[in-house]
Amino acid sequence: MFKLDLINMAYKNLWRRKVRTFLTVLGVLIGTTSIVVMISIGIGLNDFQRKTLEQWGSLNQIEVYTGMMWDAEGNPIGDANPLNDAAVEELKSIPGVVAVSPGYNLGGRAIWGKKEGYLQLVGLDEKEMSNFEFEIGQGRLLEEGDRFNIVVGSEVGMNFRDRREMEMMDRMYRQGRMIRMEPQENKTSEMLNQRVTLEINNYNGQTKRYNFMVVGILSEKNRDKSWQAFAPIEEIKRIRDFTMGGGRNTETKPSSGKKSSGPSPDDYEFIWVRTADVNATKTIANELRERGYQAYSMADALEGIEQTSKTMQAILGGIGGITLLVAALGIINTMIMSIYERTREIGIMKVIGASFLDIRMLFLTEAGLIGFLGGLFGLIFSYSISKLINHLSADFINQGMAAGDVAYSISLIPPWLALFALGFSVLIGVIAGVYPANRAVKLSPIKAIRNE
Amino acid sequence: MAPIIEVKDLVKKYRVGSEIITALNKVNLKIEKGEFLAIVGTSGSGKSTLLHMMSGLERPTKGEIWINNVLINKVKEKDMATFRRKHMGFIFQSYNLLPSLTALENTVLPLILQGVGKRERTKRGKELLKLLGLEERMRNKPNQMSGGQQQRVSIARALINNPKILFADEPTGNLDTKTTIEIMELLTKAIKEKGQTLVMVTHDLEVAQYADRVIHMVDGMIIKEEIVKGGVQVNG
Repeated sequence: MFKLDLINMAYKNLWRRKVRTFLTVLGVLIGTTSIVVMISIGIGLNDFQRKTLEQWGSLNQIEVYTGMMWDAEGNPIGDANPLNDAAVEELKSIPGVVAVSPGYNLGGRAIWGKKEGYLQLVGLDEKEMSNFEFEIGQGRLLEEGDRFNIVVGSEVGMNFRDRREMEMMDRMYRQGRMIRMEPQENKTSEMLNQRVTLEINNYNGQTKRYNFMVVGILSEKNRDKSWQAFAPIEEIKRIRDFTMGGGRNTETKPSSGKKSSGPSPDDYEFIWVRTADVNATKTIANELRERGYQAYSMADALEGIEQTSKTMQAILGGIGGITLLVAALGIINTMIMSIYERTREIGIMKVIGASFLDIRMLFLTEAGLIGFLGGLFGLIFSYSISKLINHLSADFINQGMAAGDVAYSISLIPPWLALFALGFSVLIGVIAGVYPANRAVKLSPIKAIRNE
Repeated sequence: MAPIIEVKDLVKKYRVGSEIITALNKVNLKIEKGEFLAIVGTSGSGKSTLLHMMSGLERPTKGEIWINNVLINKVKEKDMATFRRKHMGFIFQSYNLLPSLTALENTVLPLILQGVGKRERTKRGKELLKLLGLEERMRNKPNQMSGGQQQRVSIARALINNPKILFADEPTGNLDTKTTIEIMELLTKAIKEKGQTLVMVTHDLEVAQYADRVIHMVDGMIIKEEIVKGGVQVNG
């Protein structure tokens, strides 16, 4: 028998018992839908968590600090390595590392026009800035040759308040009155191409002022960096040297080549490492720990989250699986009923020359067709439910999201899931058809056609 | 020339509860190619059992059945389907058409099972149905046709593959006298034209007179054999 004839015949047989077929298909539909929707929620939540995490720090970035690492029994793992230029070179040589930049943190009182506030500065290798995951909103990132230029995060401006306002608040505070801070409008974008003056006091009681020009403002998507400003590392180093005593020669020599000389005041505070992807982040972070550095990345947090969401997906998928199992029982039941009803028909087909294979294939095709129809309509239904879930959850999940960002979805149906669901429901149908098909094959043609 | 069907010392015993019933008791029978044989007997005489044995639907307890020089009680049940499809056609009392298929689809069902392409089988099916006067009924389902029409479709289904042997089990049992005559004349004409062999089981002596030869069965044994002169005479 040709496949097409087989499908055609199976289809006609199913169509003859419309209500029963419909109900059985409905069972598979519900099973498929519950599996697909459950798994889609697992995938969606995973994706959502990952994107949220990404917002708070890149998954492709490792922050390296100096310090010993200890294992569970308290034994040191490797040596504590100083963060100097030799370390920077060492990190650059690790395969999978895209870019490396040493850095310092520095903060102080700052003046922007008539406003006063606090500026949190991060000194970075200005040549490498474009290799890290900075997204510029206005202006530009730091480039080679920049000196007293800074790039500010999207909310840095909110740290600055009118001088008079500040004085008033100060007075009120001293009088012990309640201070109600008015929520500030974000005027960071006005900082572009303006001068910000940083006031630094050193241990000797000296004060120095440094003027910086804002050349760029980061996009709101760099949420983890929104309160920081970024400056060329050499200038920050000089300012640091001033704070640490002021007597030091600002033209410090790099302390290269002295790896085990212990901590030096010239060492970097941290080193940023940019990796190719999440997997590289995990392996490189582990390697760094083995080499005697402290390494932190958002990917560490991701691992835990992924574990949790895998467990959740398994539970959700399991619930759906049970539903589909019940649907499979429905198919078996329908097919056995059908064989009882069609005993005579099966007999006729056998008498006029249908082989065992023909009979078996016919019933398997009918069962598979029920699975296919249930899977197909279940998939269509799943997409609608997924849309509905996303629509209903959109309000709270995308709250406070920057305009223009891609909206998050709690339920995601990737193509592989759709294909898997369809294939799986057909498979369930065919498997459910095996037992009834065997019964049909074993039917005696004589009993089936005997005149009654 | 060897007979197309030869039955040697055929015995069939059934166990019904603790009792053993002998349905066929040492039956010997030869049927020549192109012959129209009628088997007559009351119900329980074993005539239907004999038909089932000859068509390979039931296994004998003892004895041999040769069809076209093949000992069919040695053919596996699996291969018997193919053997039937190639060499045999069947006509039943209750027509036994598939209710979900149209007249045309029922007619060409053996060709579908054989894997004949759609265009080829539709052409053959249409020609045959036209010949049997069912041109207007091709797209009808069995429940939209009269008994006579349904039986004609089942004849068409039996003939579609040009089998060497046709088996008919009470083909006119459900039909009125007028339709019975129509069907019998149609059947006789069809097989004589192509030289096909027809084995028909009936309890109706008048219908049996369409045959070339009539055997009478009682209690699983052939008790009488008569040659009908002139074929289509009633009460010879």
